[in-house]
Amino acid sequence: MTQGNVVLDIEGLSKRFGGVQAVLDLSFQVRAGEILGVIGPNGSGKTTMFHLVTGFHRPDRGHVRFFGREITGLAPHRVCALGLCRTFQVAKPFPEITVHRNVLMGALLHHPDPDAAATRAEEVLRRVGLDGRAQMAAGSLTTIDQRRLEVARALATEPKLLLLDETMAGLNPTEVGEAIRLISGLREQGLTVVVVEHVMRAVMSLSDRIVVLDQGTKIAEGNPQEIASDPRVIQAYLGKEYQRA
Amino acid sequence: MKAALTPDRYVPAAILLFLLVLPWLLPNPFYVHIIVMMAVFVILGGAWNIISGYAGQLSLGHAAFFGTGAYVSTLLVNAYGLSPWVTMWLGGVAALLLSLPMGLICFRLQGPYFTIATIGLAEALRLLVLHFREITNGAQGLTVPFRGSAPWHLQFDSKLPYYYIALAMAICVLLLTRRMEQSRLGHYLVAIGQNQDAAEALGIDSAGAKRRALMLSAFLTGMAGVFYAQYTYVIHPDGAFGLGLSIQIALVAIVGGVGTILGPAIGAVILELFIQSTQIIFADQYPGLELMVYGGLLVGVILWRPRGVFSWFHRVYQALVARLPSPGRAGS
Repeated sequence: MTQGNVVLDIEGLSKRFGGVQAVLDLSFQVRAGEILGVIGPNGSGKTTMFHLVTGFHRPDRGHVRFFGREITGLAPHRVCALGLCRTFQVAKPFPEITVHRNVLMGALLHHPDPDAAATRAEEVLRRVGLDGRAQMAAGSLTTIDQRRLEVARALATEPKLLLLDETMAGLNPTEVGEAIRLISGLREQGLTVVVVEHVMRAVMSLSDRIVVLDQGTKIAEGNPQEIASDPRVIQAYLGKEYQRA
Repeated sequence: MKAALTPDRYVPAAILLFLLVLPWLLPNPFYVHIIVMMAVFVILGGAWNIISGYAGQLSLGHAAFFGTGAYVSTLLVNAYGLSPWVTMWLGGVAALLLSLPMGLICFRLQGPYFTIATIGLAEALRLLVLHFREITNGAQGLTVPFRGSAPWHLQFDSKLPYYYIALAMAICVLLLTRRMEQSRLGHYLVAIGQNQDAAEALGIDSAGAKRRALMLSAFLTGMAGVFYAQYTYVIHPDGAFGLGLSIQIALVAIVGGVGTILGPAIGAVILELFIQSTQIIFADQYPGLELMVYGGLLVGVILWRPRGVFSWFHRVYQALVARLPSPGRAGS
């Protein structure tokens, strides 16, 4: 994998909620064309980091730059309009309208004409394998299909960088395999992707590089082999006493 | 080539024709009054539906826009002798301007703030109108000077012209709603109403879309206020800015079906029929009973038909259209 230009530059990001320091002085970069995995134990700040980058929370300190442009504190819709789109850990479909219309909402961003957006939405649904469910109400989808829908809606906004928040949580092993194929397919189409993920198998096989968070800070960064053998990572996940085992 | 005369074309045409001849079929002006009020509530419910139905931002203070339109117009008519055909637009614009700070302040937040602010706005305006007696004539309200039959001043000696004007306005609101529903804004409002965070994440400027919807809704409500003032010749603060009116506007759309084009129209007909008939039946012997029955109807709708009765009507209509013959096609 060739290392491209810096797409996303996170520098010194910090956020405190009351007495909890959710993210502390976090810095890393995402390069064009790569899949960057972000892992860490529960509560290590992964989702907060997504919220800070996409404008759902405003950081206390630090900077977020997207293609060199300062986007710190921009409203979520403006971040998305610039080409940085995210999915949610807990799927947030528009439950009472059809799957197709859900995706159309994303497509309208760059295709203001609803007819053009509808055509675009059909293409995206085929791409993620949801075309058979296009006319179902989004609220009645199964877990895997709701995740597909999250990805489909995000893709419909034609992002340059896609942030996927625990897309595979709760999926069975077969479905994880499908999700891995889908995401690596996105990279082949030229998309840069950041995946926050708990499913180790998925992170290890998908990611070009991995950033490990613990208690809101970065404790390791490297390719999957380096991360798997990093003593700090093993300690963060399994505790100190397992370190020498 | 002539377009085929299919049921989905001739049924709406027949309904329109029926609405046009309806006042001539009614035995006395009181019944015409009822259908004028129905049309007024189609406008009001339809306007409310744009911001509260499609965009899901519950307003319980639409009387603020209604009263603003009515008062601004009547003050202008009285002070400068302007034609209501002109002040109707000015009243709408005044209501629209009133909605701007509301939208700017409230739509930055999610939650019940907008609803609370709408109630507060209408109540504040009611008290202001009561207080500034020199201008507004306080609790006595304002009257439109009677000129007899003066079409330029939106005054007629029969109820029929009022009916046709209200009908035309109501149809315009419904057509406008249909146009909006199919536009990008209409889609965005539905997305925001369903899940605002998800909408924002997809690049939808939720605050901006809601502001535009509120502006349109306020403008139409203000125009309806102007028409109402002209039609009844008198407006007073408790009626024009009252919570009762705000709630009735909301109920028209809720009973009919929020977020649908024709829901408010169906709701307006049902509610107005219900209110008037229970008043006629109970008012003499059991005054107040009509309000209890009215309350019972609302409880029933919210318990059994929380999405309104539109879906029933829609199904019946579809079945009707499917069964009716299409003479144009039969020959080909």
